[in-house]
Amino acid sequence: MTEEKGTAPEQTTQEPSGKREREPMSMSRRSLFIGVGSTAALLGLGALRYVGHTPLNRPPGGQDESALVSACIRCERCYEACPRKIIIPASIEDGLLGMRSPQLDFSANYCDFCREENGGVPLCTQVCPTNALQLPADAVLGNPETGERGNVIIGIAKIDEYSCLAFRDTGCRACYDACEYDAIRLEGTDTNPRVYVEADKCNGCGACESVCKSLSAGSIVAGATHRAIIVEPVEA
Amino acid sequence: MKTKDIRTTIAVVIFVVLAAGLVLGVSFGTLSGFGWGDFSLLCPLGALGTMIATKTMIPRAVISLVAMILFFIVLGRAFCAWACPVGVLDRLRAFFRSPKKRKELEQAKHDEMLAISRQELEARGVSVKGATADDGATDAACTHNCKTCGGCQPIKHGKLDSRHAVLGGALLSTAIFGFPVFCLVCPVGLTFATVLVVWRLFSAGDMTWSVILIPALLVVELVLLRKWCTRFCPLAGLMNLFSRFSKTWVPTIDDSKCLETAKDSACGRCAMACEADINIRHPEFGERTMADCTRCRACIDACPTKAISMPFLVRAGHKVTLADAEHEVLEGVQQVEQRAEAALHPLDKAGE
Repeated sequence: MTEEKGTAPEQTTQEPSGKREREPMSMSRRSLFIGVGSTAALLGLGALRYVGHTPLNRPPGGQDESALVSACIRCERCYEACPRKIIIPASIEDGLLGMRSPQLDFSANYCDFCREENGGVPLCTQVCPTNALQLPADAVLGNPETGERGNVIIGIAKIDEYSCLAFRDTGCRACYDACEYDAIRLEGTDTNPRVYVEADKCNGCGACESVCKSLSAGSIVAGATHRAIIVEPVEA
Repeated sequence: MKTKDIRTTIAVVIFVVLAAGLVLGVSFGTLSGFGWGDFSLLCPLGALGTMIATKTMIPRAVISLVAMILFFIVLGRAFCAWACPVGVLDRLRAFFRSPKKRKELEQAKHDEMLAISRQELEARGVSVKGATADDGATDAACTHNCKTCGGCQPIKHGKLDSRHAVLGGALLSTAIFGFPVFCLVCPVGLTFATVLVVWRLFSAGDMTWSVILIPALLVVELVLLRKWCTRFCPLAGLMNLFSRFSKTWVPTIDDSKCLETAKDSACGRCAMACEADINIRHPEFGERTMADCTRCRACIDACPTKAISMPFLVRAGHKVTLADAEHEVLEGVQQVEQRAEAALHPLDKAGE
């Protein structure tokens, strides 16, 4: 019994006795067990494809969701390449399938499509070794310098009027000031204008979200879990 | 410094440099996709997976795959012993084992390998000197009592093993569902992912379930799936497909120095030391064959008579697998066959 303990504890549970004589036999049986078990587990894991995950804001070139999921091997090159450190791994809460795939986090910074850092060629797309992040041939990237929206749409900003400070007459217009594409409109002529998103001008760069003060200043709304203006993925 | 320490140091340095790059945003990539700027070298399984999933040829993936295959042919599974973080984790785990448990495991392996050596010596008709010279306690504890269990049976090594089944399952699932399935659970990837999520936990206060589940998955794979590298790792399986053709730097025994062949004394220390579950002296008794050699040099360090070396090129026709006695038998058989053939030839010609 001591020998069995030492060599293969998990297999002994299936064959409590008479195993010692057939050590090599159990070896091939173990191979079979491992092979069948692993294949079943990996097929089960593969079926996650049908479960899917919650839509995410992908880095430029990752807008074709199925292409990204097919090609991404979670090598983490894009996280490192991003000069503004806004690419983060998707968490398990967003679904097992997308876990550790790249998503954008606009809490501290936003995407300028590397206009400033790399002359308008997104570094994440450039380094991606598997082409999981790949811009379509006809891609026109947003240009914060000229205000051109482009056709690569990361997501669309959305305002939660309930928690937005502008709707609480504070005169906050941080998002309006941050937007480089004129995608935020001020309404009302008084000193406390309301802010609205012009969806057809927004490319989801996240500048508005990155400066939104609703969670950090003024009258914070109880129970608010995210900022009053957030970029939502297009599919949502 | 022993080779084992050097290996651990190298693997740790590689891991720390890559992990620091990940944290600081210096672009080195990870072991899943190593490189900087436009240059990258992909994990061969990842490269294969991503091409199967997207059904396209990806230049960087093809180049990586070819480069890796050449590497496997030249250096076998050297990556496993010298660079893979999973090996380090395994050693870390062994380090934290209770001394009792460690001793138990070592003793079991010691007994098994010694029993094989003795049995093989006896099979050659040598009365084993080591049986009495070795400490008596070993015999008492030896569960491989050849008289009761019918001896250690040689293992029939097929061309494929359980790791190839895992590899096949991973690629099949990738082909069916169209994404690199194994990448989700790859322990190498999970190790780097752990660094990233833990770093984000402290730097950005990003507390998600991933912080717990990613390391947990890693632990489950390495603890519950015993002998991950020998039995499960599909990457090792992939390497094996090419490293089996390797003829360079393969450990070779000098039979004139080996205790078992030169002194007829049971030893088995090379087999006890091997981290890849290979029995270099008696390959037919090891769980894996020389195809899985990781060039870790543990057998070379362990050999009491310095009989094992890693020559640049294994000499053609030089079989390290056969003991001298078996050699003689083989040669005898060949001579008989040659004589028989020679005797038959004139008859054939006469028939025509």
